[in-house]
Amino acid sequence: MYDHQTRSLWSHITGKAIQGPLKGKQLKTLVSMPQIAWKTWQLNYPETEVLSLPTVGGTREGINRDNYADYHASQRAGVSGTEYTDDRLPNKSLVIGVQVQTKDGKRQFRAYPITHFTETAVINDTLGKVPLLIFHDKSSFATAVFKRNVAEDVRTFRAQDGHFVVDNTGTLWNLVTGEATSGTDKGKRLERLPAVNIYWFAWARYYPRTTIYRP
Amino acid sequence: MKNHTLVLILLLATTACASAENYSEDPIRTLLPFDAIPAITEPQFVSAGVAKLAPDAPVIGVTFNDESHAYSLYLLNGHEIVNDVVGGQNIATTW
Repeated sequence: MYDHQTRSLWSHITGKAIQGPLKGKQLKTLVSMPQIAWKTWQLNYPETEVLSLPTVGGTREGINRDNYADYHASQRAGVSGTEYTDDRLPNKSLVIGVQVQTKDGKRQFRAYPITHFTETAVINDTLGKVPLLIFHDKSSFATAVFKRNVAEDVRTFRAQDGHFVVDNTGTLWNLVTGEATSGTDKGKRLERLPAVNIYWFAWARYYPRTTIYRP
Repeated sequence: MKNHTLVLILLLATTACASAENYSEDPIRTLLPFDAIPAITEPQFVSAGVAKLAPDAPVIGVTFNDESHAYSLYLLNGHEIVNDVVGGQNIATTW
């Protein structure tokens, strides 16, 4: 991507400028829901607004066809001709990419293959001493990463139903919003970290030191 | 161009960060000219109640300070970047 003001080139994977006057500058990656079924987003955020593009005779919010369906279904990795050689996973494996900043200021990276979420929607893990909750709901395709502590109390989570999960104290949590919906913690929120759904070849190329989660 | 600017959900920050990336040795190849995939710089929105989206349509969802925006991935295929303001934050949503 490039910015109109300086025409510097930026990586949208890392958020760093790679060429031009702003080379070396770093954008901050913010938290988001990288993908979710519209009905599930609307259920949780009924006041949401929806991007709508001007079109002949009005605006439109949706196209019902994925113009990249063929690409997603193929073995092709990217469009630049770059060869991707980290064969720890097949290039087109979809992973959830997570990075944490450890106390000594270093970053640690881990890829969570989406195939681990067919049996359960949550993985309790620890990366760089940070207790993490990795969430992916195969029905809505919602993905989220949280620190799995409430104040100093580290919790362990198990899947309940869809985007609802239970921790070891019996508290029920909604992992689309990150909010506790029952018990003494009701209304509390887990701290969300940036999360991406990304093909392995891209994640591994930008973050070659990444580890891969294994149960 | 008035407002504007960039591009995943990112905010301009000036901190350098320790770099482990070796992609920086990859050559930069130009496949398309600037704006061949036009970014959205003045996004328009409709409320959830009137949005014509299929229930299972995939969207990116963003929420800051009680304001939420949803962006259809299939729409973003043709634009890739939305320069937006959500809950007072200047963000670029990228796909």
